[in-house]
Amino acid sequence: MEQAAYILVTGASSGIGKGTAIRLSADYSVILAGRDRARLEETLSACDKDRNHLIWEYDLADLPDLEGSLERFILENNCLISGFVHSAGYFKMVPVKMLSIALFQNTFNINVIAAALIVKTLTKKKLNQGALKNIVFISSNISNFGAKAFSAYSASKSAVDGLMRSLAVELAPAVRVNSVLPGGIRTAMTEHTYQDAELVARMYAVYPLGPGSAGDIAGTVRFLISEDARWITGQQLVVDGGRTINITG
Amino acid sequence: MDELFGQLVEIFEVESLDPNDHLVDLDMWDSLTQLSIIALAEENYGITISAAELRDAKTIGGVISLFENKQKS
Repeated sequence: MEQAAYILVTGASSGIGKGTAIRLSADYSVILAGRDRARLEETLSACDKDRNHLIWEYDLADLPDLEGSLERFILENNCLISGFVHSAGYFKMVPVKMLSIALFQNTFNINVIAAALIVKTLTKKKLNQGALKNIVFISSNISNFGAKAFSAYSASKSAVDGLMRSLAVELAPAVRVNSVLPGGIRTAMTEHTYQDAELVARMYAVYPLGPGSAGDIAGTVRFLISEDARWITGQQLVVDGGRTINITG
Repeated sequence: MDELFGQLVEIFEVESLDPNDHLVDLDMWDSLTQLSIIALAEENYGITISAAELRDAKTIGGVISLFENKQKS
């Protein structure tokens, strides 16, 4: 039986990953990856019904078994993976005085190391048969800038963009690798930063295009995965409503 | 809660604190200090507190009560 090609989306149970998985499901079969099966089932129920989609329930924080688990999943489902979108993320706003080893480890494990190990697994010829064509990392517009209490998170996003550029060179021409750098998107992961109405109003005021949504990021990922982006690799694509080019005030 | 008291002394970078100290009167009371206390609550005590709850606590004693109440609930 011919093996079907899927797009693997991590962090598919909520936020940008969920929105991206649902958007991509109209054109591709997707593998929804996340920790929480019930929430992944919710995402699945919103995906296009004309295609077959799969769920890979896994906690990416468990790095030692990550490669083995993904290998087993691919073999058990007899599937190939042609695209990988890393949307799983770990985000905590923590000032310098509260930085800890655990914070950096948790942040880098999910945001950087898990992404690298998944790419490693998907580029194994015996396993994935050279099917991988596209990788998109969900980075952040903080990657090239700075903000108070963002040191661990921003370091991890700069790291994932560094990873993206080197992978783009190493895996070319077979695989295109790019990053999408969203501005602030209100999701379960970032909800704790949206508790203060006055702060939220101040934050939105510096977005020339106003607040964005997960759907804005999903559309960009869809473009990067598509043939329309066939000559784009190694790039950071900023999707932040103009936040980082606004020097007003 | 002696441990929490000591941790707050460190976060506020003072020699000592009194339960009656008003948060707004402390030199280090700002958004970063609020984030530090929120991070402390989550990492060390496994509780989630918001910036608004913290501000409503008003005093050091109020912050300690907030931690205690969150741990009970």
